[in-house]
Amino acid sequence: MELEEMQSIWSELSGQLEKQKKLTDKMIIMMTQDKFRSKINKIAYPELLGTIICFGSAILILMNLNKLDNWYNMISGIVSLLILIILPILSLTSINRMRKVEIATNNYKETLLSYAKRKKQFQTVTKWGYYLGFILMFTIMPITTKILNNKDLFSETKRVWPFLIAIPLAIVFFIVFSKWVMKFYNKNINSAESLIKELEDTGI
Amino acid sequence: MGKEYEFTQIIKDNEGVIFKITTIYTNNQEDQKDLYQEIVYQLWKAYDSFRGDSKISTWMYRVALNTAITRIKKEKRRGNQIGIDKVVMLQTEQYDTAFEERLKILYAHIRGLNELEKGIMLLLLEGKKYEEIASITGLSPSNVGTRISRIKEKLKTQIIKK
Repeated sequence: MELEEMQSIWSELSGQLEKQKKLTDKMIIMMTQDKFRSKINKIAYPELLGTIICFGSAILILMNLNKLDNWYNMISGIVSLLILIILPILSLTSINRMRKVEIATNNYKETLLSYAKRKKQFQTVTKWGYYLGFILMFTIMPITTKILNNKDLFSETKRVWPFLIAIPLAIVFFIVFSKWVMKFYNKNINSAESLIKELEDTGI
Repeated sequence: MGKEYEFTQIIKDNEGVIFKITTIYTNNQEDQKDLYQEIVYQLWKAYDSFRGDSKISTWMYRVALNTAITRIKKEKRRGNQIGIDKVVMLQTEQYDTAFEERLKILYAHIRGLNELEKGIMLLLLEGKKYEEIASITGLSPSNVGTRISRIKEKLKTQIIKK
């Protein structure tokens, strides 16, 4: 299809759309109101829920730090605490930055550039979140048994075989899952990167 | 004339343009409806900051295109949506099948372009001059010319591949 043919189809489409205007004043106002409400809900639920769970767990660990009475439990506690606090902050900040692209004042190129950069940052944070989540999976185990059951996972566990099965399984799952996740993230990061490069090469 | 009245008139005058933008930047009706609403909402939010420095159509294209590229994709089931399907669907239902088919091919070609090119292509099809495309996109008019030549090349390659 040549550009001229495209232009002719487009102009026919524009003509058809012009003849069939359907929006009413009421519908337009309802659209803005409804979108405003859905935006508040969108911010309120998934992100805040995740943050509350992380911060809640962090507070629980912090309040029970005195129960972590040996070096490995203490290290696990501190590492878990750091991950549970830093990760949601990083994630929320990067999502928020992505939302704050100046839609009304920026031109198309500025918006594309700014959004691609923020998207890349968000994807990188998500990628790191995935790695840290894996570390958390292991560090949280000893402190959970210690805090909730007052048992030392390493010295008081009589049967070792459940761990011998569970840990290799978790590692295999992580490798398979990480390959799939990384493929997705790398694709997104690469496309954002190529767009940034293309736009930065373009002189205004 | 109240702000609300002026705004609804602008949207009504440009509903076809918003529809075309949403078709290019989405792949299904659900997303299209969502983007349509999002554009109207963003235009409403940005309306106060419009001071008439540029033409209303330039401002509108800018906000609509910026909204389309920055929209964070969400899950399918979410919130209520005003029945713009009534608007959109009636518009497409009345086309003859041959035209619908040609339109599909046209959209497929545009969707094959990258985000920057999609915006330029849309403005070109809308009959905008290089200067206005430059003002909306932030590129220089000569750069717009270069980009359009590249788009034409790309379209030719797409045709050969098919």
